[in-house]
Amino acid sequence: MRDYIYNFWQGLYTILVGMKVTFRHLFIPAVTIQYPSVKPQMPERERNRLYVNMDDCIGCDQCARACPVNCIEIETVKSIPGEDLGTTSNGKKKALWVTTFNIDFAKCCYCQLCVFPCPTECIYMTDTYEFSEFQRENLVYDFVTLTPEERIQKKKNFEEMQAKKEAEKIAAAKKADEDKAAQANKPAETKSDNKEENKQ
Amino acid sequence: MNVYDLIFYLFAALTLLSAFFVVTTRNIVRAAFFLLFTFFGVAGIYVLLGADFVAIVQLIVYVGGILILLIFGVMITNKITSVDIKAGTIQTLPAAIGVGLFTGIIGAVILNTDWFIANSEMPESTLSTLGKMLLNEYVLVFELLGILLLVALIGAASMARK
Amino acid sequence: MMYDWLYNLTGSEILAMFIVSLLPLFVFILPFALAAVLAERKVSAHMQDRLGPMRTGYHGILQTIADIIKLLQKEDLVPHATDKALFNFAPLLVFMGSYAAFAAIPFSGFFIGSKIDLGIIFIVGVTGLVVAGILMAGWASNNKYSLLGAMRAAAQIISYEIPTLLIILTVIMLTGTLSLYDLSEMQTAYFWNWLILGGPAVGLQKILLIPLMILGFLIIYTSTLAEVNRTPFDIPEAESELVSGYHTEYSGMKFAMFFLAEYANMFAVSAIVSVIFFGGYQSPFGYLGNTLGWTWLVPIEQFFWFTAKGLFGVFVQMWLRWTLPRFRVDQLMAFCWKYLIPFSFVILLLVGLITLM
Repeated sequence: MRDYIYNFWQGLYTILVGMKVTFRHLFIPAVTIQYPSVKPQMPERERNRLYVNMDDCIGCDQCARACPVNCIEIETVKSIPGEDLGTTSNGKKKALWVTTFNIDFAKCCYCQLCVFPCPTECIYMTDTYEFSEFQRENLVYDFVTLTPEERIQKKKNFEEMQAKKEAEKIAAAKKADEDKAAQANKPAETKSDNKEENKQ
Repeated sequence: MNVYDLIFYLFAALTLLSAFFVVTTRNIVRAAFFLLFTFFGVAGIYVLLGADFVAIVQLIVYVGGILILLIFGVMITNKITSVDIKAGTIQTLPAAIGVGLFTGIIGAVILNTDWFIANSEMPESTLSTLGKMLLNEYVLVFELLGILLLVALIGAASMARK
Repeated sequence: MMYDWLYNLTGSEILAMFIVSLLPLFVFILPFALAAVLAERKVSAHMQDRLGPMRTGYHGILQTIADIIKLLQKEDLVPHATDKALFNFAPLLVFMGSYAAFAAIPFSGFFIGSKIDLGIIFIVGVTGLVVAGILMAGWASNNKYSLLGAMRAAAQIISYEIPTLLIILTVIMLTGTLSLYDLSEMQTAYFWNWLILGGPAVGLQKILLIPLMILGFLIIYTSTLAEVNRTPFDIPEAESELVSGYHTEYSGMKFAMFFLAEYANMFAVSAIVSVIFFGGYQSPFGYLGNTLGWTWLVPIEQFFWFTAKGLFGVFVQMWLRWTLPRFRVDQLMAFCWKYLIPFSFVILLLVGLITLM
């Protein structure tokens, strides 16, 4: 009988304690963040979307090699002599035209491994984290600042230069051959084979 | 025909139709639910007769208690919900004789009784008079009924414990 | 009285009766249900340190209106293997049961749907229809969760009707009336005349009655809470085990009907408790209208006090919902039969002895 009354009292008392707790929580400010209108404060070393500052990029390909999922695709073209590409912000001289710098954020795992090897610190994490797309292709970001025409132009320039050099080389080689032929008669067949190998 | 007549015919139709369906339906749970409407219609008729307490007791005891327990029992009993109840006609002749006799007797009673017609005024409240009658004139019956119910209760409890 | 006024206005008995009977629905239940659903969500959110609906309107005040529009637009799905007739009728029966209770609830001294002498018993009686409707819905849905929920609901409501009725019986014995209007009128003037503080009795009788009445109030509040299937007694619709009990298969407007009935019931039971123990529509400290001599203000004040008390009861129901976990079935039955019923019998006996004094 004593237990019975005690149970009744205990039940009542614990309900009142519980009600006190919930009533107190009624007036505690909510922890909810109204997300799209109020953005949560992100931590300082957050890892979100990458950004490449192309002014500083020297096209060294180190980030692409560091990437564990191969989401960075870089193609570079050598500059032709006489072209001034400027210097990076930490004083390195740029020597390559970067014609392709694609990062596929659908593949990117936000590991930040590409950020550390960069010698000019031109690739880094930003605080943007809302960049979802309806088409997967739209997640491939192109960071190159050159226009498509310029890219083709640069490639053409390089190829022309290459061709010119080759032509000069061939011409020089021919000249040398002729000179050698003139100097001493030696079998010409092996020479020409070597030349083809050089070309390749 | 005033509005009360209309309501009376509504309740009477409800009672009779649902009672008819209780008998004819093949599904036992449906029959139980139709019984609910029968009780409800009867309660409505009680109200129209000015017996408000009886009507509400009808609702509490029959609709709220007995019927719910009935449906409960029907639902809990295994395999009873899908049992088809026979609703065909067998032994037409004895049944016809019995029903004919019964209707005859009822009809004779209805026609030959000298019906007491009360003045159409609604009684203000039946409750206090009813209470006084139950505890003065009919106190023995009232108490005996109480004892009967108690005995039934104890009997049921002791049977359930076995 | 509202009915007489309308009768004089329209000159038609039927029209006046029709308007009076529809008035609580449109003036009170629908707006109340809209507000209560929002309040429920807001209260639950703030008790859990959340915000709740915030997008529709200022702090989400239009949320339930949007929900109702959504429910109205929804397709009226009737699952294939259901008992169609019963399935369609069950929400009506449930709503009928809870709406009929409003006929006898005294909103103020000037507006009671029906001033019958059997007010309390009438409410208890018509609430029986809700049980029948729930069983009907559960069986007609032809779904194991619905059937289990309906069974639990019926067992629970029938069991908890007993302590409710016993406490009501105690109050009837003390006051000698079953009419909710008379009960309210009895507790007039000041709050120490409320039955929770012993009613209009004086002296030793009052002092003896106070603890019994407080205990009685706790018992009747708990058991009515169980009768409207609210947490911690929500095992009929226990979301985590029975999906949502007897209205699992319902959608659209029929679901809204169950919802409306539930909220109407919530208010009805707290209104009954407030009439029985807290003076109903009576103000705790006299009327401003009487002091200033503006008699037209009194009904408005009464309506205000009545809804305030009812709404506070509803708030406590929500408060309990977000405080207590759900009972197990056996605990539920043990709580009713082993604790509430013996205690109510003791109260009945003691109050009987005190009234003989």
